[in-house]
Amino acid sequence: MALLETDRLSKSFGALTAVNAVTLRVEAGTLHSIIGPNGAGKTTLFNLLTGTFPPSSGRILLDQKEITGTPAARIAHLGLARSYQRTTVFPAFSLLDNVWVAAFATSRSWNGLLFRPTHKYPEVLERARAALDDVGLLNKANQLAREISHGEQRQLELALALAAAPRVLLLDEPAAGLSPDETRKMVALVRALKGRYTIVLIEHKIDIIMSVSDRISVMHFGSLIAEGTPEEIQKNPEVRRAYLGGVAA
Amino acid sequence: MRTLILIALSILLLPLVVRPAIATEIWIFAIFGLGLNLLLGYTGMLSFGQSTFFGSAAYVAGWLLKHYGINVLAALGIGVGVGALSALLVGYLCVQRSGLYFIMLTFALNQLFYFIAYQWTTVTGGEDGMPGIPRPVLLGLDFQDPLMYYAFVVVLFLASLWLMKRIVESPLGKILQAIRENEVRAEAVGYHVPRFKLLAFVLAGAFSGLAGVLYAMLFGIVPLEAIGFVFSGNVVFATLIGGSGSLYGPIIGSFVFIWLSESVSTMWARWPLLLGVAFVIVVLFLRGGVVEAWTRFWTWRSSKQTG
Repeated sequence: MALLETDRLSKSFGALTAVNAVTLRVEAGTLHSIIGPNGAGKTTLFNLLTGTFPPSSGRILLDQKEITGTPAARIAHLGLARSYQRTTVFPAFSLLDNVWVAAFATSRSWNGLLFRPTHKYPEVLERARAALDDVGLLNKANQLAREISHGEQRQLELALALAAAPRVLLLDEPAAGLSPDETRKMVALVRALKGRYTIVLIEHKIDIIMSVSDRISVMHFGSLIAEGTPEEIQKNPEVRRAYLGGVAA
Repeated sequence: MRTLILIALSILLLPLVVRPAIATEIWIFAIFGLGLNLLLGYTGMLSFGQSTFFGSAAYVAGWLLKHYGINVLAALGIGVGVGALSALLVGYLCVQRSGLYFIMLTFALNQLFYFIAYQWTTVTGGEDGMPGIPRPVLLGLDFQDPLMYYAFVVVLFLASLWLMKRIVESPLGKILQAIRENEVRAEAVGYHVPRFKLLAFVLAGAFSGLAGVLYAMLFGIVPLEAIGFVFSGNVVFATLIGGSGSLYGPIIGSFVFIWLSESVSTMWARWPLLLGVAFVIVVLFLRGGVVEAWTRFWTWRSSKQTG
């Protein structure tokens, strides 16, 4: 069953069509990757899914219900959480406070919003700590986000999405700017999350994609040009021409 | 604990050092600063229009005190309400924009309120101000006695400080700081940022309103300046000098600012020069204001003792 779907979703900025009639079906419990050259419209697609801006046309469905045009702040409450390609955390906060804020947003009630001390929300704290634990940062919970390494910030980026206890995780290049070593760590992390969440992954590094994905969609100039299992995608001649083979082919 | 002792000591000693009226004004201005700092320090919104709420509350509550002889508590309640309501109105327009546009909007709307007060002379007295505001007796307490009124203001200041401490230590406080740190992410994790900014604005407005009424009763008059942009700038100045990064910064700022403007000004007409120097020092070397200087001094001292 498809958990997240788009139906001929398009977005134009002036004369540029960044996302062009994309119809995508993400099955529950799978890891679905979206690949494509720079500027193919992958991040714009994420921005549409998470309500950063509304689409020009087309529909988005979560669990068969239309969520097209839902503003960003509502999206997290519907169970869609994203990470960013460029690290987007709360720099002056401790790691624990970072995930605490994200966990509180989607907690069952906002009782005591104005007066109850933050340490009197045991259930939120537990979820926040679990999110840090999932990305292996629990031992640094009290350090400030701006003081940890870039690799750790990428892990925190992931933890912020996890803290919302989402149904669908949208990961925008989690391994962006990481060293080979850190990349291996991140791949292991994503692999560990597989099955627990429905994951949509944007990634540039093709070896990561091939090893972790259940299905892959290929974007090129805003359109989907192919979809299939990693093996099918590797064999697809059009994909090879557009992406895998590069410009030289 | 050390902070509480310091506050208690200053409450007791202040009326011995300066005139009671000035001592009272310091705590009133501190309440005003506490409100502003929720915006400036915690949410990262520089409002250059806080006197809109201070002045509106002072005029409305002052008018009712003068012409209808309402009770002090009712005047305070109305002041808080007018402060919050005018902040809701102004804030609703301002939070739609950010950065420089936000600042200019708070400033422009402040000017709008100022000119209404300036023109509407039958009510506000225009340039002459609205004189004759009484300090009615409450439960047998005669507020004509300057020290009695001082005690009353101090109690309200402590209540405000306690309330603000609860607010900044609540989830709301965290969320506002998260907005300051990263608006995009705050929105993405599920907070409708403009709504939270508006909430901060209304709360700050309520504190400003309380300060405004107390100010009107202190001097028995609402001067036109109480709703002017210089007044809005003063509270920003004072908060920055005290330290916008801390809950207590505005209190220290209020001390420095009111003491300079009320005591030093009588000895030396060029006193704003000192303020300018203090401001330059803060901007260049001490972004955390006096509070940062204080913590730096203590870390330096303890490192010398252990080292």
